[in-house]
Amino acid sequence: MWDVIKSVLAAFFGVQKDSQRREDFEQGRPGLFIAVGLVMAALLVGLVALVATLVAR
Amino acid sequence: MRTLLVWLAGGGLFAGSLQTALANGWNMPVGVTELSGDIYSLHMIIFWICVAIGVVVFGVMFYSLFRYRHSKGAKAANFHEHTLVEVVWTAIPLLILIGMAVPATATLKKMYDASDADLDVMITGQQWRWRYEYLGEDVAMTSNLATPRTQIRGEEPIDESANYLLEVDEPLVLPVGQKVRFLFTSDDVIHSWWVPELAIKQDTIPGFINENWVRIEEPGIYRGQCAELCGVDHAFMPIVVHAMEEDEFETWLVDRREAAEQEAMGIDREWEMDELMERGEQVYGSVCASCHQDDGGGNEPAFPALAGNQAMLDDRDWHIDTVVNGVSGAAMPAFSGTLNPVEIAAVITYERNAWGNDSGDTVQPSEIAELMSD
Amino acid sequence: MAPKVPPQPTLEQSTTAAAGHGHAHEAPPKGLMRWLLTTNHKEIGTLYLIFSLTMFFIGGIFAMVVRAELFQPGLQLVQPEFFNQMTTMHGLIMVFAAVMPAFTGLANWMIPLQIGAPDMALPRLNNFSFWLLPVAFALLLSTLFMPGGAPNFGWTFYAPLSTTYGPPSTTFFILSLHIAGISSILGAINIIATILNMRAPGMRMMDMPLFVWTWLITAFLLIAVMPVLAGVITMMLMDINFGTSFFDAAGGGDPVLFQHLFWFFGHPEVYIMILPAFGIVSAIIPTFARKRLFGYASMVYATAAIAILSFLVWAHHMFVVGLPLVAELFFMYCTMLIAVPTGVKVFNWITTLFRGSISFEPPMLFALAFVVLFTIGGFSGLMLAIAPADFQYHDTYFVVAHFHYVLVPGAVFAIMAGVYYWLPKWTGHYPNERLAQWHFWLSVIGVNLTFFPMHFSGLAGMPRRIPDYALQFADFNLVASLGAFMFGASQLLFVAVVVLCVRGGRKAPGRAWEHAEDLEWSVPSPAPLHTFDTPPKFERSSH
Repeated sequence: MWDVIKSVLAAFFGVQKDSQRREDFEQGRPGLFIAVGLVMAALLVGLVALVATLVAR
Repeated sequence: MRTLLVWLAGGGLFAGSLQTALANGWNMPVGVTELSGDIYSLHMIIFWICVAIGVVVFGVMFYSLFRYRHSKGAKAANFHEHTLVEVVWTAIPLLILIGMAVPATATLKKMYDASDADLDVMITGQQWRWRYEYLGEDVAMTSNLATPRTQIRGEEPIDESANYLLEVDEPLVLPVGQKVRFLFTSDDVIHSWWVPELAIKQDTIPGFINENWVRIEEPGIYRGQCAELCGVDHAFMPIVVHAMEEDEFETWLVDRREAAEQEAMGIDREWEMDELMERGEQVYGSVCASCHQDDGGGNEPAFPALAGNQAMLDDRDWHIDTVVNGVSGAAMPAFSGTLNPVEIAAVITYERNAWGNDSGDTVQPSEIAELMSD
Repeated sequence: MAPKVPPQPTLEQSTTAAAGHGHAHEAPPKGLMRWLLTTNHKEIGTLYLIFSLTMFFIGGIFAMVVRAELFQPGLQLVQPEFFNQMTTMHGLIMVFAAVMPAFTGLANWMIPLQIGAPDMALPRLNNFSFWLLPVAFALLLSTLFMPGGAPNFGWTFYAPLSTTYGPPSTTFFILSLHIAGISSILGAINIIATILNMRAPGMRMMDMPLFVWTWLITAFLLIAVMPVLAGVITMMLMDINFGTSFFDAAGGGDPVLFQHLFWFFGHPEVYIMILPAFGIVSAIIPTFARKRLFGYASMVYATAAIAILSFLVWAHHMFVVGLPLVAELFFMYCTMLIAVPTGVKVFNWITTLFRGSISFEPPMLFALAFVVLFTIGGFSGLMLAIAPADFQYHDTYFVVAHFHYVLVPGAVFAIMAGVYYWLPKWTGHYPNERLAQWHFWLSVIGVNLTFFPMHFSGLAGMPRRIPDYALQFADFNLVASLGAFMFGASQLLFVAVVVLCVRGGRKAPGRAWEHAEDLEWSVPSPAPLHTFDTPPKFERSSH
């Protein structure tokens, strides 16, 4: 699970090693990656919204 | 060493000429408020950041294109990945952007603080003019394009000394040094009130009120335009702000209030045909001509001709009702909120007698005032 | 020699795919019916591309009218009413009828070839989604001849200008956009089905060429946002014809709601028009740098990141409508974030060039111009992201300059690069290099003369969408108009190159470009009507 999160984080950052990428695509389940990706996207929205709310006060 | 100097000199020359160009009407104005200055600085910081990144990125690119030409026998290397480099060049832009977000946030917070204003002005967008109301001061006015249509259509040469398309009959007059709060709304479609020197651009939206504020630091005349496409005459609803010293402004405000009272007294007396025609022609030229044309020829199908319009001439009450209340669902607005009874009476009289309409009717301001008070 | 790379197709399939083994395929109908009824991905791809080129010229003529009117101050050629119709139709035609169908055409031609599939997954649907387009845009263009004229409210058609105050033809405009939207959705479904199900045995997702990857992500974006567009135009339809008040404040509606919905569609739409361009450029640069694309995995991940972020930035088009401070900050931060993965892509292309062995064939010229000029458009985008500064930039020629830089020398140059790159595969001939070079240089000079001065006129205070302007903007507009005429005229050269290339020219072998790696180069040039009837065996060299 931690590996999946790390890979998704790398995707959000936009940088990934070729070897890790190959491992993800050979061993990972796509459903899991998509689910984690969506959760992380929601977290990102929450995080930016939180920062904006705090700053705006 | 020498090549380095050449490069530095070249870079300096480039930056210098860019700077000169930007200082000569090719750039965003610094403006005359604290915020416009802040915005200008933000603009220049992000601009120079972009120039710096561009010099590095395009530098590497053109160096590679020149150095590694196939025609010069370049052999391709075999690398296609380098995690550290990728992390670094992702992190650096991220840090630059965070650095940029801090001052941008601070400026934005200042822009949004419209509290404790000394003066409130309501700005209403209308197709295709601006209406200004000094709230609580009993002063209001409508601001129309002053550039003659004949110049726009090329029937006479453009007067180069007269601020072509950026001149109005009634500028918005504001005091220097005071915090003025603007309330924006619209009577019809979305417009956008923009004066670059004041760094204010705010949409005016029908049914909603937006807020913005300004504290002008220097007296002067500042010009702008509607920035949101609002129909046929979008290009022809300029904004002129006349900023004057506070005492001068107070005098102006009193004068305007008295003039408005004078005009209000005119409502009760009987007006002569000549007077009405003269006033009516003036009102028609600034308010009606943009759609119905100077010669009353209109612009079918949206804007009917008034010259020789028999239906209009036959039904005087319908004509008055149309001007006062507008036509719902069509382009014709209600003028009861924009023009006073004298102006409405005069313009209807003018329309019924100009361009060979010659009905001989007059419409009295008292009649309109009575209708509008119902 | 060229280095070995992982997505390394083997060539064993190549020539066996040639036409001539006449099983199962019936003789196609002749003449017009052949094109009307075709279900072949190559023929449909050709139809899309021809349609797109035609519309590119029609939209271009509208642009020429606009630029001719703006040549000098005063109204000379057209009235403001017609001018507004021209700007609106130019935008709509270029976005929905020129750029999008061009990418769909390239997808039709190249995706099956690049993944080793015999055709698209849903060939009849493919035919249908193409033939909806001429219907949609014939309808849209016919509004020019209707009483009251064509749509005149800008390609963003903000309510209530487009509803309560719109011309009678607005309802036709809505219908035509619905049809075009259906076509896009069907096309996207087809592309996804093809990519997910029809890859050659042995080709994993991460072995796919980047053009296939970017199109896969684009197709998901299309499916996500086209229904939103359909929703918003349906609400307009109701407001106009059935007395609802979604966007009419007088009836309790909200004109700003329109903008939220429109840009929730509109911003991903921007990426729909640029992601496939990234894919094309990522195929061309390694080919002519004779070096493997730097950071393939990062490129894919950055594309995915851009796609997700594209749903979170829509209100940066609305910084001056009076959003609350929190919203303003949120959208500013998200917009700044999206610059990062976009920057990563540019860095990757440039690092691919670094220590390569570079030659300058026509596709490479256009791809390199894409990198430079798209980056300039990215810079102005970064400036626009700074919300306080956007209060000055918004709705000025600065914005016009920005989005034309990303769309013309961005998307359009990438399409042209793709056409030059794949013409040998389509026709069996190389395009005339001398003419193509003329086309390239005239286009590059023309496009910069047109759009660079717009940055300055915008900063100096010129609003967009105006038929006449104050005298201080005259010089900028003069230069922009001259540049536009030059750019417009030089596109005739493009047509000449394509026509000449179809009719003859230097013969191209199957692998038309020495270092081109993808599967499409393993079939003969011109590609026979049916390829990969038996799936090729895709092998990648592991290292």
